[in-house]
Amino acid sequence: MTRNTEAVLVLAGAVLASVGAAMVGFAEGRWLDATVALTFVSFALAFGGIHVAFRMWAPNANPLLLPIATFLAAIGSTEILRLDPGLAALQRWWLVLAGAAAAGTVWLLRSSGIAVLRRYRYLFLIAATVLLLLPLLPSTWPIYGAVVNGSRLWVRIDLPFAARVLSFQPGEIAKVLLTIFLASYLADRAEAMATVSRKIGPFRLPEPRHLGPIVVAAGAAFVVLIYQRDLGASLLLFGLFVGMLYAATGRGFYLGTGLFLVTVAGAAAYSMFDHVRVRISAWIHPFADYTGAGYQTAQGLFAMGSGSLTGSGLGLGRPDLIPAATTDFIFAAVAEELGLAGSVGIIVAYAFLVTVGFGIALRSRDRFRKYLAAGLTILIGLQSFLIIAGIVRLFPITGITLPFMSYGGSSLLASGLIVALLGRVSHEERT
Amino acid sequence: MNAPIRRTAWAILGTFLALILATTWIQAIAGPGYRDDPRNPRLTAWRVGRERGAIITADAVVTARSDPSQTDPQTFTRVYPEEARYAHTVGFTSVLFGSRGLERTRENDLVSHRDSTISGVLNVMLGGDPRPRGLRLTIDDALQQVAVEALAGQRGSIIAIDPSTGAVLASVSTPGYDPNSLIGPDAGPAGAELENDPDQPLLHRTVNATYPPGSTFKVITAAAALESGIAGPSTEFPDPIALELPGTTATIHNYDDDVCLDGRTVTLEDAFVHSCNTTLAALGMEVGAETLTATAEAFGFNSVIPYELPVVPSSMPDSATYADDPAAAAQNALGQRDVRATPVQMALVAAAVANEGNIMIPFVVADVFTHDGKIESTTEPTLWRRAISPASAAVLSDMMEKAVISGTGHNAAVPDLRVAGKTGTAEVTGSSPHVWFIGFAPVDPEPGERRIAVAVLLENGGPAGETASGGSVAAPIAARLFETYLR
Repeated sequence: MTRNTEAVLVLAGAVLASVGAAMVGFAEGRWLDATVALTFVSFALAFGGIHVAFRMWAPNANPLLLPIATFLAAIGSTEILRLDPGLAALQRWWLVLAGAAAAGTVWLLRSSGIAVLRRYRYLFLIAATVLLLLPLLPSTWPIYGAVVNGSRLWVRIDLPFAARVLSFQPGEIAKVLLTIFLASYLADRAEAMATVSRKIGPFRLPEPRHLGPIVVAAGAAFVVLIYQRDLGASLLLFGLFVGMLYAATGRGFYLGTGLFLVTVAGAAAYSMFDHVRVRISAWIHPFADYTGAGYQTAQGLFAMGSGSLTGSGLGLGRPDLIPAATTDFIFAAVAEELGLAGSVGIIVAYAFLVTVGFGIALRSRDRFRKYLAAGLTILIGLQSFLIIAGIVRLFPITGITLPFMSYGGSSLLASGLIVALLGRVSHEERT
Repeated sequence: MNAPIRRTAWAILGTFLALILATTWIQAIAGPGYRDDPRNPRLTAWRVGRERGAIITADAVVTARSDPSQTDPQTFTRVYPEEARYAHTVGFTSVLFGSRGLERTRENDLVSHRDSTISGVLNVMLGGDPRPRGLRLTIDDALQQVAVEALAGQRGSIIAIDPSTGAVLASVSTPGYDPNSLIGPDAGPAGAELENDPDQPLLHRTVNATYPPGSTFKVITAAAALESGIAGPSTEFPDPIALELPGTTATIHNYDDDVCLDGRTVTLEDAFVHSCNTTLAALGMEVGAETLTATAEAFGFNSVIPYELPVVPSSMPDSATYADDPAAAAQNALGQRDVRATPVQMALVAAAVANEGNIMIPFVVADVFTHDGKIESTTEPTLWRRAISPASAAVLSDMMEKAVISGTGHNAAVPDLRVAGKTGTAEVTGSSPHVWFIGFAPVDPEPGERRIAVAVLLENGGPAGETASGGSVAAPIAARLFETYLR
């Protein structure tokens, strides 16, 4: 695999997105229109841009990352176009922006290397905390928090000159920054944290002060849960912390404590919050409250069941009947129109991406790079697992986006950053 | 220090495997269940708004068509121009109440196959026409109109069948309803009103309701005697005022509580023509449970009639249940007690007599035509069952003709037409009797001549109430049908 192969595969991804746009047009009875060209241009700018950045400033970056990301984004953007052309137009802008941000990141790190991030870890921690807290801004401020679907995850900025409201989910970016912080922190402390210093009965415990991070993690996740009423984001954050702690130390203790805490927190949340109880009952019996809490899950199941093996075909199913089809439930929408063939293809693509990510981590010689690659991969893997698992009822619905595929600027931006960082890490291993 | 990362990787890949398994379960194994779940809004969304083929009668009256919407030419509105006239047979397709009638059973012909499923794409690649097909019915609109008018304001059913082919010439169930009122998303109140109406306008009485057939069942009792050789048309029976039923205190009376003929003896033919209960009840006991049930089953009782629309079976009790109960045999032989029949079943009884004992499978779709009007497939008349021998059929035909010439069915007579038939007045406990006429015309037709067999039923006496009889209420309606179709 070389950069040239990557170029061909990224081009193929852009063509796939354009063919998807053309097929959506055909299904709606339109002949080729400007959308097809605009789709191609946006993909070429975004992913072609990252490719060029890799070629110039990180020529040894793993060449599989970008094609997989392009493929997933192509399927996602096609489905968004089919569901809501207006949203698809916005998504094209976000795509270009995310590509620019990713390429910019590669450029920024061109000479300093990824190691520079390690030095500024507390800056990232503070930035991440601020971003996580942004949605709590009062609604009278020009930049303010907003509640969408019961979760306080959004920040809005009124742009009076454009007569528009710009919305984004700062939590998406915060997750990436937190991963950088944690990788850096663990690179310094993992060895100490892995040391067993005390034995209490059958338990072999590390130094109490090394328990700090996990307590902080659990606390942060619980705070997010309470103030933002968001099961998905808190689980994702907590899973990321525990996963990285385990990956870095190899101590089952952290895993066990994490599981214990998540169980306790889950039980507490279940008894404290109605919306959590409703989610759980909708998960176990989606048809018991079909017209209420179970509606979205049931619609997802109907969509997937109707899609069957080969799907209804693009533009010929009714994924518009699923609530949040362009965001949280895009997997169900794709599953309906592309069938089991499409949905399994997507899961395999994520599995492939995760394999590539962990491969980069395993090959890294430097602790920071290793933990960073592992953390970013855990982030992508866990996030795609949680939302798909919610749709296929392996887990309660968590309400998070599917990386690369869901509509959403912040989600795309975060996914782009992850690709750039993973690319940079892999570049440094081969040079 | 790579081991924990490797384990983490395997753990995440393991969860992905679980996702693949769960997705496969939902889409491939449980998929059809979710797809066909009545709550799946796709079922309605897919049906409603799609172009559907037209449904026209034999004489080219449009009973259902799809009009493109004013705002979006891709979506269509279903229109039923004849309103209630074809409500039960053609049915409807709606947002709230699903589909009924041919709109349901012929969905595959009526909707367009313009989709990207493998079969849809293959169909187009192989030159198939994905546009919706239309249906041409066997129903004659002129006859249908007469039937609808004859039952106006009544609860009842009329079905007319060509005995030689099984083609349904008219099929009416009343009260009807306007299918146009049920199709939209705002049809909830209209539908609830129909569902709560005590007259049950949504019930397709012709195929989905059973009634005691009363004396029309005597055709089957007589057939049982003829087929088993127990009696012929000239076999003589006593003519008492009342017949005592063994083992009970009950007696069987004739219609006017008198002797049937002259109080001495009566032939089977005369007893049939004058619908003597005493004679036919005695004959029923003589024939016995086994032969009686076997003959009824030969005519299609206890079987599902393979019609276009789902039909409830007409019921004849198992012979074992009344083999040792002559009183039950006597009452069953008169089409009372445990015997229940749909109007379509009784029309097939008349059709069997008209068609040398053979019952053709009834059908209502003559052919399926493509979007550009070419006939794609035509329903071939198919034999369903041989009910009785041609010889027995000839004897029954003769007796039924005499019943119209000089017996209870005289109101079914049409000048210069050889009409055969049998009346029925089925007692209903605590209410006015259900009145019947089954019959056919012409008797002994010339080759190529039009033929029609009918069953006419009015619940609880129709307009005449408790004084009603099959001969006074149902037979004149049959006469109008014969006249309309054959003149």
